[in-house]
Amino acid sequence: MSDPSTKPNDNPFRSRRWHLFGVDSDRVIRTFFAGNALVAIIILVLITIFLFKEGWGFFPQNYQNLKLYRQTGVEFVDVLKRHEEDFSALNRFLNNIRTQEVQRHKDAGETLAEANERLKPFDLYLTAFEEGGYDITDLVNELKTTATELRSRYEIYLNQAQLRSNLEKAGRTKEAAAIELVPVDLVDEVKSIQDNLPRVISTLGALAAHVNQMQQTIPREADTAMTARLEKFRSLLIQYEASFPALQQTLRSWDPQKPVSAYHAVTSFIFGREWVTNSYIQDWYGILPLFTGSLLVALIALCFAVPFGVAAAVYVNQIAASAEAKLIKPYIEFISALPSVVVGFFGVAVFGEFVRYSSQAEWLSWVPFFPISERLNAFTAGCLLALMAIPTIFTLAEDALNNVPRSFKEASLALGANRLQTTIRIIIPSALSGIISAILLGFGRVIGETMVVLLCAGNRISIPDFTQGVGIVFQPVHTMTGIIAQEMGEVVREGLHYRALFLVGIVLFFISLLVNFLAQKIVRRYKLGSN
Amino acid sequence: MTFTDNSFQKKSKSLPRTIEQFSFWAFRLATYLILIAASIIFGKIIYEGGKTVFRSEFPFINVPFLTQAPQTLHVFEYKGEKMEMSDSEFRAWVTAQGIDGSTFKTTSYSYSGGGIMPAIIGTLLLIAGSMTIALVLGIFSAVYLSEYSQDTKFIRLIRLSIVNLAGVPSIVFGLFGFSLFVLIAPIITETPKNDALWVIPLFFGNYVLSFQGWGVSLLAGWFTLAFMVLPIIITASEEALRAVPKGFREGALALGATKWLTIRTAVLPYALPGILTSSVLGISRVAGETAPIMFTAAFAIRDQLPWQVQHWQDFFFQGVMALPYHIYVVSAKIPQNEYTSRMQYGTAFVFLVIVFIIALTSIILRNRARAKYRW
Repeated sequence: MSDPSTKPNDNPFRSRRWHLFGVDSDRVIRTFFAGNALVAIIILVLITIFLFKEGWGFFPQNYQNLKLYRQTGVEFVDVLKRHEEDFSALNRFLNNIRTQEVQRHKDAGETLAEANERLKPFDLYLTAFEEGGYDITDLVNELKTTATELRSRYEIYLNQAQLRSNLEKAGRTKEAAAIELVPVDLVDEVKSIQDNLPRVISTLGALAAHVNQMQQTIPREADTAMTARLEKFRSLLIQYEASFPALQQTLRSWDPQKPVSAYHAVTSFIFGREWVTNSYIQDWYGILPLFTGSLLVALIALCFAVPFGVAAAVYVNQIAASAEAKLIKPYIEFISALPSVVVGFFGVAVFGEFVRYSSQAEWLSWVPFFPISERLNAFTAGCLLALMAIPTIFTLAEDALNNVPRSFKEASLALGANRLQTTIRIIIPSALSGIISAILLGFGRVIGETMVVLLCAGNRISIPDFTQGVGIVFQPVHTMTGIIAQEMGEVVREGLHYRALFLVGIVLFFISLLVNFLAQKIVRRYKLGSN
Repeated sequence: MTFTDNSFQKKSKSLPRTIEQFSFWAFRLATYLILIAASIIFGKIIYEGGKTVFRSEFPFINVPFLTQAPQTLHVFEYKGEKMEMSDSEFRAWVTAQGIDGSTFKTTSYSYSGGGIMPAIIGTLLLIAGSMTIALVLGIFSAVYLSEYSQDTKFIRLIRLSIVNLAGVPSIVFGLFGFSLFVLIAPIITETPKNDALWVIPLFFGNYVLSFQGWGVSLLAGWFTLAFMVLPIIITASEEALRAVPKGFREGALALGATKWLTIRTAVLPYALPGILTSSVLGISRVAGETAPIMFTAAFAIRDQLPWQVQHWQDFFFQGVMALPYHIYVVSAKIPQNEYTSRMQYGTAFVFLVIVFIIALTSIILRNRARAKYRW
């Protein structure tokens, strides 16, 4: 900018702004600031792009994976193996009965040797039962080795072929020719597995006969509790026996060439009930156990956070004296500065043990699912998450209450309502949209929280057992956020597992967008005076 | 009609009044239960962690804990005495005593000996870098939103993005940071890696722009954290800017100042205290987050201090230890017992102290700014 005093003849109204490529300085600056403001949009777009970039490839890869699962005959073995595992579960059930029985005798004052002596006839039965399963176990192991070996050979072949074509594309023909390809004839080789079908059927027939015989020779015991358990065992056996014809049908009609629908690659993720990784048979990536786990923990957290958070907001806004409110408000806001990993650590070190200890208390023994065995479970994580969600819910709900016009309160009081009636019937309903959106945002915070659930939720990957009633809250669960944090560090880049984790991230991302969208919509729709 | 029949007189024992009192007590109880629950956590960590960090004799502070790197702790019995030593002490002791260290039996606990100095420094570096980036981007965005913008579709879209960005879970930011900064972000180098996504020649020496990612590094952590707090900073800064009275701007414009001159001289200086104080809240969020840095910046263990690098550029491309990640590691990966719990509580305590100093500063500064700038 030139000094005007040196050029007295200059037009005083001349614009003194500098110009860049003919654009006036103010516009340049304005554009610069606008560019910065764009960053928020850019980041959101980048997050979407990069999550999808890494995650979307899951579906084709999973499709490939499922196709191999069928074509290499692993599916055939897997069906059989599941059946064999059911048998082992029955065996464990029987062993459990024995353990309980030993404990009962010991409680009655007998020594271990005496108890063992008493259980001798039972042991004979147990051994007989176990021995009946040897054949099927051997058969499954044999087929498993053949099938997985076939699959890994075929995968190596595919990889080498890929590498070779890449090299050829890059023009390095010499190196490409050096790569040795061992072709695998899937159709032919899988036949060798399928050829075992008669053997499998006969082994299964023998097992069915064995189970039937065992079912009829269940020992009779004098003790009622034991009899009840054995009766339960008998019904399990009958159930198991009934599953044989269907299994044999499945195995007979199994066809390695039957096409896998691409649709299945998607549904096996969204509705998959198993998340199994690093398995030597087959990995499964189903989000359902993680999703239900996240939801369970979030609901437990909200059960505590909503009443407490809203009550505290009402108390601070309507009831507390102003000096008291001035102390409480910053303190609760202060809690939001509490790092989640510290809360998680507190859960591991203190709170989990406290929950287990108090569940063993005498006066709580009437609760059906007490005492609990796991100190880290959905309840532990939920309680701690509630504490993290309370500041969010409190602050937003308090804002909503604050925005209710004063005249509402005054009118209500003037009509003779007391303070409680005013609060419950006038203030809270007027602020309800704000409170609901506060709760929604609290939910968003809870479902996206990582460290507390990773440390305190128990990390057992299975869909919570809904048959347990309220006891479900004391089961260990795994969550969507937790699984990403736990497994991301150990996966092969661009592998199926890696992509599955990104896909879980995409699900989380869209849940958070949805929650936000709903919260804003509710606030806008039911804003005071909007209609 | 006597005077005592006054219908305005308080009826002390009517049913509605009892219900009212009862409900008020219920509300009060709920509120104080929250405060008590939080206090128990604070209290437990301060009490247990204080035992690690403070000493009863001079210099009253456990200096090695704050100045050493984490080490393995060895616990053993020697001549009837129970000894505990961190790995380096143990080696020195073994040499001094002339014992064969390879056959000597000890119980070892990883991470439980030594101190947490690299983690403290790493956390401070992460905070400083990410806040610089976030403040620059955030304040500029806020200036645009509050000073330049009209209520157009574009602005509404920006605001919508900001609100939505604020709700994105931190672990998703971690994934995003990993896939963008760790794996793909561009660097200028002479020797690009083979797996770089693109390599663009710069026609300047042998240098190329290689999209090969920054690796697990300070830089990746800075950007991930900065993007995560950006919505907080923008919202806080915009509020502070809007709090500056309109008259300031109108006065400056009336005197012939350009828009930019007005913002620079009549708006920003008055908004700056507000911006900075509210942004401190963002700092405490940055400091407390673990999930975004787990795969972008944090190492479980690293002996060198961040400035012990060969080239100055390497400073930005090194992973660091961080207190929140260290807490995660020591509470998830090692068992709970009397030897490990000292490290666990001590780290949590130091971390809490740092976060609280930041949060307290923000509250004090805010109150001061409020008292100072009244118009």
